[in-house]
Amino acid sequence: MFNPLKAPEGVKTALMGNEAIARGFVEAGVSVVVGYPGTPSSEVIASLHEYGVSSEIYVEWAVNERVAFEIAYGAAIVGARAAATMKAPGASVALDPMVSSAYGGVEGGLVVLVADDPGPHTTQTEQDNRWLGFLAKLPVVTPSSPQEAKDLAVSAFDMSEELKLPVILRTTTRVNHTVGEVLLGQVRPPKRVSGFRKDVPRFVRAGMAWNLERHRWLDKQLNIAEEVFDRVSRVRNIVEGSGRFCIVTEGSAYNYVREVVDEVGVEARVVKLSLLFPPPRRFLAEAVEGCTDVLVIEELDPYLELVVKSLLSELGVSTRVFGKVSGHIPLEGELNRGLVREAIASLVSGAPSGTPKETQSKPIPGVPSRPPPMCPGCPHRSMYVAMLIGVSKAGYKRGEVPVFGDIGCYALASQPPLEAIWTEHSMGASISMAMGAKVAGFEGPVIAVIGDSTFYHAGIQPLIEAVHKRVDILVVVADNSVVAMTGHQSTPAWPALESGRRAKPVAIEDLLRAIGVDHVEVVDPYDVDRMVSAFERLIRQPGVKVLVSKHPCALLEARSRSVRRYRVVEDKCTGCLACIRVTGCPAMSYNGEKVVISSDDCAGCGLCARFCPYGAIEVVGSE
Amino acid sequence: MSKVVNIAVASVGGQGGLTLSRILAVAAVLDGHSVRTGETLGMSQRFGSVISYVRIGRKVLSPTFSVGEADFLLGLELVESVRALPLLRSSGIAIVADTLKIPISASLEKRVLRVDELSKELMKVSKTVIVPASKMARDVGNPRAANMVILGVFQGISGLLTETSVRRAISEVVPSKWLETSLRAFSEGLRYSPSGQQ
Repeated sequence: MFNPLKAPEGVKTALMGNEAIARGFVEAGVSVVVGYPGTPSSEVIASLHEYGVSSEIYVEWAVNERVAFEIAYGAAIVGARAAATMKAPGASVALDPMVSSAYGGVEGGLVVLVADDPGPHTTQTEQDNRWLGFLAKLPVVTPSSPQEAKDLAVSAFDMSEELKLPVILRTTTRVNHTVGEVLLGQVRPPKRVSGFRKDVPRFVRAGMAWNLERHRWLDKQLNIAEEVFDRVSRVRNIVEGSGRFCIVTEGSAYNYVREVVDEVGVEARVVKLSLLFPPPRRFLAEAVEGCTDVLVIEELDPYLELVVKSLLSELGVSTRVFGKVSGHIPLEGELNRGLVREAIASLVSGAPSGTPKETQSKPIPGVPSRPPPMCPGCPHRSMYVAMLIGVSKAGYKRGEVPVFGDIGCYALASQPPLEAIWTEHSMGASISMAMGAKVAGFEGPVIAVIGDSTFYHAGIQPLIEAVHKRVDILVVVADNSVVAMTGHQSTPAWPALESGRRAKPVAIEDLLRAIGVDHVEVVDPYDVDRMVSAFERLIRQPGVKVLVSKHPCALLEARSRSVRRYRVVEDKCTGCLACIRVTGCPAMSYNGEKVVISSDDCAGCGLCARFCPYGAIEVVGSE
Repeated sequence: MSKVVNIAVASVGGQGGLTLSRILAVAAVLDGHSVRTGETLGMSQRFGSVISYVRIGRKVLSPTFSVGEADFLLGLELVESVRALPLLRSSGIAIVADTLKIPISASLEKRVLRVDELSKELMKVSKTVIVPASKMARDVGNPRAANMVILGVFQGISGLLTETSVRRAISEVVPSKWLETSLRAFSEGLRYSPSGQQ
């Protein structure tokens, strides 16, 4: 296999945006990289782990984004080059220390990768982190391709060191997860600690006079940011073409704009920004000079549109500006070539609109949907089945006991047939929101379901709150010993890490007992009967109860041990579908008469056999 | 390559659709082309619908394309291939494995899906090649290499990339323990393709 981190300068290869960023970090001489897994950002650290880096570079997953940022910040103020990686909502988790870091500044370069998700494909909101520039007062740069992602990852470090400010490398899914050709550059040796000079007014935020002073310093740095960016960045703000019809764009949107403008042959001046904050006012003022109409094409919020309007208003120019506010570009969802073509056509007479008419078929009606389900053998499925039975055995209807979900694979239980969870909100919110329902007077029992990694990330404090305030709540920790949804990253329970470093496991049960939970029980969800009786009992019991549903992720378990597989005995199967209706297991299907289990997919949990009323499902080889 | 060639890869998560698109991208760069692939990964999409876009040309920027813009549809599963069909332009070619993975949503409704009916749906497109890819992959000793069989058929039909580059790309992307059988599956696909039989 090819190793993109060790390949020499000058090699051109196909890299995913996140692999390119990992390469960029290595080229920049980074020595500390920390993050929390989150799509579409995870492959940066995953690549550094997979392909291996020198032991001089510390690359690890942290317990959450806030801790990751603070570790990177601590490294940067002692002179190291450091990076933190996170998905869009992770930036909100890290926001408190990020805002303060703008006042203290850095010595070694600090780059924060924040991966936004227009669409959204895998994120709870279409949060636009370009606003972090205005909010945290930190420079924001953005790439449009894997090559630019690598180059900007390097330049962001140079810019950060020169400005002495953390720099946000803001990407979107269509850069992070796009594969494209990348020309590799020179690798610099890792820049590690150079020393820590005590400077109390700079690094102690307890002095209000100091803070005012540092705020003035920060604004001075931001004033020179455009000039520094122009000097050090390999990826520039650019103007292409000429004409009085102007398009201002950035990031992924640029790709659609460039292709569509070339294809339809309209005369347009295309202005592409790579520095998003502080807005490059000098460059922009020159770039849009003489434009009669400006169309701003961007994803997520009308960020650039407001920047352009405000600049034009300052300049006293009355150019018309179109974009999201005017309705030419949709406010929600991601862009594509077709949407960009339509927007341009609506403003330029004669430009062809819409998508090509060569389409040979309309969407074929009735193609059954296939949303991501829980995998065959998933321990979460067994846990939820036991929960739903336990609820009814305890004397409640399914609709009477709200189940507050959390972020992870176990939220896939929102799909039929389980339809088990009622909320999925933000990391750790299951426990606090369930508590909110109780303190507001909700009389019946409430259940919170949180995964092991999510518990470490943001579930511990909510549980302290619930214990301290003596709330009656059943918390299920769905513990599969891994961050499964984002690709099987390590958790604080692991004794050895992806990097090869040894670690001291922090056990969830120890935390639960230390917090003072009233009742802790650990059950393997594959033991469905024991799980059902645990639910039946704990739902009725007062106090804070935590049921740890402990079984390894089925995908990982299948790699480490041989699984027995199940099959349907045709003579006995009546096609009643009880098995599929209870489990929703994607290894099973209905062929018109009987149920069939795919031997490629069965993971051997046996849940289906447990619920077949005719004993028609048995272990392969047991006949 | 004067115009951009668009390829849609339709699969069920876990079948190797993303590996297939990655190999196409690596081979394209080895051949000196510009390439972009567009896909979303990371969320547990095993057993979910996966569509991957591959664009190869002299200069490519956008990672995705719209309805009616695909020159080729490479399908690793029948339901997903039918779902992705609108992406294909009328002159496009579909190369599809005869594998059927019935979605849970269909089973829950007792809806019956059959290989021959879905194949017929695809055959309505003027040029569709249905490939017994799973069986061919099993026969070379690597049931997971149906994606390499489809790649081989695509190679035989399109001649878009050089065979040397595609083979090298397979060796750069596929882990070494699966490499030999993957290359054999690719060869089987190449032999199966109409042009390979000539």
